[in-house]
Amino acid sequence: MAEIRDAHEDILFAPIEHTGRGFYWAVAFLSVLILWGAIAYAVQFTQGLGVTGLHQPVGWGFYVTNFVFFIGISHAGTLISAILRLSKAEWRRPITRMAEVITCMVIFIGAGQILVDLGRPDRMMNILHYGRYQSPLLWDATSISAYLMASLTYLYLPMIPDIAILRDRLQKRKLLYSVLALGWTGTEHQQRVLGRAIAIMAVLVIPIAVSVHSVVSFVFSMTLQPSWHSTIFGPYFVVGAIFSGIAGLIVTMIIFRKAYRLHYYLKPIHFRYLGQLLLIMALLWFYFTFAEYLTGYYGAEPEEMKIFWAKFTGPFWPFFWTMVLCNFAIPILCLASLRQHTVGKVLIASLSIIIGMWLERFIIVVPTLSFPRLPFPQGMYWPTWVEWGETAGSFGLFALFYLLFTKFFPIISIWEIREGRETGVKEVEERILSYLPGEADGKT
Amino acid sequence: MALWGMVIDLDRCTGCQACVMACKAENNVPAVGANEAKRGRVISWMQVLTETDEEHHASKTRFIPRPCLQCDDPPCTKVCPVYATYRNPEGIVAQIYARCIGCRFCMAACPYNAKYFNWYSYQKEAPGQNPDVSVREKGVVEKCTFCHHRLQKARERALAERREFDPAEYVPACAEACPAKAIVFGDLSDPASEVAQLARSPRAFKLLEELGTKPKVIYLTEGEGGG
Amino acid sequence: MAHPPSVSDRLVRRLQWIWLGGALFLVGGMIVWILHLIGAAWRLDDVPSASIGISIVAIPIFLVFMGVVFYVFWGVALHRRKRED
Repeated sequence: MAEIRDAHEDILFAPIEHTGRGFYWAVAFLSVLILWGAIAYAVQFTQGLGVTGLHQPVGWGFYVTNFVFFIGISHAGTLISAILRLSKAEWRRPITRMAEVITCMVIFIGAGQILVDLGRPDRMMNILHYGRYQSPLLWDATSISAYLMASLTYLYLPMIPDIAILRDRLQKRKLLYSVLALGWTGTEHQQRVLGRAIAIMAVLVIPIAVSVHSVVSFVFSMTLQPSWHSTIFGPYFVVGAIFSGIAGLIVTMIIFRKAYRLHYYLKPIHFRYLGQLLLIMALLWFYFTFAEYLTGYYGAEPEEMKIFWAKFTGPFWPFFWTMVLCNFAIPILCLASLRQHTVGKVLIASLSIIIGMWLERFIIVVPTLSFPRLPFPQGMYWPTWVEWGETAGSFGLFALFYLLFTKFFPIISIWEIREGRETGVKEVEERILSYLPGEADGKT
Repeated sequence: MALWGMVIDLDRCTGCQACVMACKAENNVPAVGANEAKRGRVISWMQVLTETDEEHHASKTRFIPRPCLQCDDPPCTKVCPVYATYRNPEGIVAQIYARCIGCRFCMAACPYNAKYFNWYSYQKEAPGQNPDVSVREKGVVEKCTFCHHRLQKARERALAERREFDPAEYVPACAEACPAKAIVFGDLSDPASEVAQLARSPRAFKLLEELGTKPKVIYLTEGEGGG
Repeated sequence: MAHPPSVSDRLVRRLQWIWLGGALFLVGGMIVWILHLIGAAWRLDDVPSASIGISIVAIPIFLVFMGVVFYVFWGVALHRRKRED
């Protein structure tokens, strides 16, 4: 199998072959964040959850918000990569690997948030021994496990040909690459097998991804609490997850495009298409949010209205309106026209959305708990340094996992880019020709 | 099979909170301290909620002693991931401290906020506590159990004395302590019992009944001129 | 393209079998776990319908995973010597 050895490809191997000073600076910075998080958790583990700002009645705060947020980000990856693959969108080729890695890494962080939130983490095995499937938390455990396995598989399978390239090209880590490459030599039989397996996983991973965030939303919507017990939660959370996921993907792409000088591969057109997707998701998110609040407002149930006004004008108004600004106003302004300054606009929109979506999760979790139905003594929830530290550490840990991945495996799928060059153009041409008017048997 | 329930007469309740203190003493409920209380972490299995009338808040305050309502369709047991809370055949919603992983889902699900969490290890085992009730460590949820240990003791005493167990022997601490006799406790499934008769009173109502939790703590609204 | 002779083929083979075994163990473990939970709910008569309902969806999915993983190992690793270009 003759390969066109492209000099530009060297840049894709560069992070694996060389390690610059920038890497060490990045690791140092992330380590500081992770250390803060580790200390925060150590304090919490020894003393108890009292070191957080949680209290009666707000028993859930930052950790559960982070849980929903990180699991939401995970939808970027596999969902985008799977949908783009199934719809044969050629522009997906440099993006799929980055997206898939996000999903795999962030699921660990997301699931970890729940473990951090437990009052008795030493008893986490109780979920295995004594789990009850009537509880939405068990649906979470099953669904997230399925998603993790599906994502890891869906990351690993398309990596096999790239690992084979590394096995043959590099001197270091020969054993690792040889084992993981499964003896890939690019024969037609192997390509057929892999193609079929990837297609099956792409189809399978989409309903699993949808189920994951639906099930996360069910943790809230299966209770009787006002503003939680809403039928819209399933689709609302999934839309929000895809929304925040694309934003996370874009930010990651821009960071690594700069750090690893991938401008040859990640072009403005890729960001433009992702930006358009992001715009659609912003509008969709707004529609769901609008429907949700209009329904609550129109029905004017007293308990719901207590929470409604708390968000609109009461103690939570800064968070609520910042959320609307970040999730709707700023993205629309940035993404409406992407011809000029594409990457800059898309970066601002994505950062804004990441903040906005975190606030959205916060706005869902905390206000409902803050206003119980009965006249219970209340108080505002204020997070402590422990919760900030845990959040910072979580971001840091995710970033570190991601960074380490890029040191071992190419962050852009090399064989898929080659495939795009060799067969992609011809396939697309044939496809377009088949759309044009002609005989039913396909011969134009 | 008995179905233990409680009737609280709001017309008799003076808001003195003797029930609260009796419950805390009986069940080794920790005093969390002033700092923790300021942060909103008081644990009070029996808690007196005050509801002021919106129009006449100067003159009309209602005191609602709220234990765990021991629902017959408990929202808390549905969501527990590890069988740490469940409704036993006699209608008491039990809490298993040794199983609880502290996820606080039951706390988020309870519409009555009847569940409390040990944010720290508020106390250790020490002399002066009630030896019949376990002392809870940090990280677990706890709540009113209708003084279930008193039921067990009464049953065992009857067994030891080779006689039938009389439901009247089983009285939770709050019902025993109330100076106004506002709390009546007994077997709701026995139509002749006082608690069952009061539950059928025209003054009877249930908190948040529309949610379908089927609570077994029934309140009697204030009489003429009030409530 | 033959392997460079510096890496022991047998060691690679063995590690690949361990890799496969680990993957199947994880997925198989999930199925065993779900069945265990169904059993517990049945014994305690605690809404067994929830457990069974979820397992009807979840177990086939995990079985498909096992199938895909094994299919790839079979097709790529075990048959690589056949029909080489």
